[in-house]
Amino acid sequence: MWAVLWKDLLIEWRSRDRVLAMGVFALLVVVIFHFAAPAGPAAGGEATREHLPGLLWVAYVFAAILGLNRAFALELENEALSGLALAPGERGWIYLGKAAASLVLLVAVQALAALAFALAFDLDLVPVLLPFSGIALLGALGLASIGTLFSAVAVRTSYREVMLPLLLLPLLVPVLLGAVRATHGLLAEGTVPADALRLLAVTDAVFLIVSFLGFEYVLDE
Amino acid sequence: MSTPPPTLSTEAPEDGLERLARRAVAPTGWLLLACAIVWGLLVVQAPEDAVQGIVQKILYVHPPCAFAAYLGFFLTALGGAVYLARRDPAWDRFAISAAEVGVLFCALLLATGPIWGKGTWGRWWTWDLRLTLSLLLFLVYVAYLLLRSFTEGDERTARFAAVYGIAGLAVIPLNYFAIDLAGGRALHPENLGGDSLGEGMGWPFLAGVVTCLVAFGHLFARRLEVAGLRDRRAREAAEAAAAAGEPAWDT
Repeated sequence: MWAVLWKDLLIEWRSRDRVLAMGVFALLVVVIFHFAAPAGPAAGGEATREHLPGLLWVAYVFAAILGLNRAFALELENEALSGLALAPGERGWIYLGKAAASLVLLVAVQALAALAFALAFDLDLVPVLLPFSGIALLGALGLASIGTLFSAVAVRTSYREVMLPLLLLPLLVPVLLGAVRATHGLLAEGTVPADALRLLAVTDAVFLIVSFLGFEYVLDE
Repeated sequence: MSTPPPTLSTEAPEDGLERLARRAVAPTGWLLLACAIVWGLLVVQAPEDAVQGIVQKILYVHPPCAFAAYLGFFLTALGGAVYLARRDPAWDRFAISAAEVGVLFCALLLATGPIWGKGTWGRWWTWDLRLTLSLLLFLVYVAYLLLRSFTEGDERTARFAAVYGIAGLAVIPLNYFAIDLAGGRALHPENLGGDSLGEGMGWPFLAGVVTCLVAFGHLFARRLEVAGLRDRRAREAAEAAAAAGEPAWDT
């Protein structure tokens, strides 16, 4: 697992193309939202502020899907995926390595996007930095866990870039709702609703278990 | 004279599920006809609701469709799980047949619901807990069908679809709690209890449930039979091509 994680991060460090693409994309989403929002919060739009957690998580999900689409694309070259499948030992560990690498990239992009959001929409994240990071991490874990499994599926279908969001978005509803509720509670009232956190934690656990077991069947024999 | 239609030789053996499906087609068809007649008569003579009027009779179609849709999605995951355990293509055909018929009933569910909603609530759609959940369920299984059609290779398609079908079923309870948490107001009527139906509405409702489940069984058996025939046809074509010395194309 550590070998796969290390390999993915090393490749990413050398090229930096995935994290760069995700980061720029997330920034673009922030800019687009700024113009799509009915009245900028700078102009005192309370309604937009109410929707900020949702907008933030939409940006995260889109950036995550962009990154996950590339997670296995690299392995297709030179039949590297077959090599991984032939590696001795439980395939679940390969999955955990790939998921951990995606998680690290996603967290980096999340931090960047949160900064951009804070600047663009005049949000003060510093006092709530720790709980905010916790929620972002739990959400990212949910995105990366089930996303890595279906990234391995989508990469071997035709229309692979289209297939991943189609497969993933209906399954991501619990992660998205839990994360948006928790973020909203934190930003609006200063407290994180416990039921939203519980939903996030349970969803992450279920996704990790399903993906760990399911990955066995996703790699070709 | 035109050439006779290609017939299937009996060389490729039928598997147990296909044989069962083929034998079930005719009896379930007749049963469906009988059920549908009884159901139609009962619905026509059922009393009109004092408050909602004629639109209340959707009750005899809408919840039964939901039962059939749930059954279809449960069978999809079951077929996928057995396929992964045994790697028997017959169980993959079982899963795809259940998914297609399930999506059909889910589409009927989503089509009949708004008709009632417009008549009673005054609007076609609300983001109510159960409405949202049904729509998500529909989308998950439409994605399942898309995944199947965009994957090449029978064995790989079956594996991918099985994993997705099982994950889809696992997410349904999570979605339920998630939407509940998000404050999806329960606008949708409660589940039917023992005495929530008015006088004379119980029998037509029961007939609706039975008819929909028999219709599910009939369509499922037909779809399973077609899947089995297609599979044998493909295998025979591959064998014939191999015998003629041509390269066998993976169909």
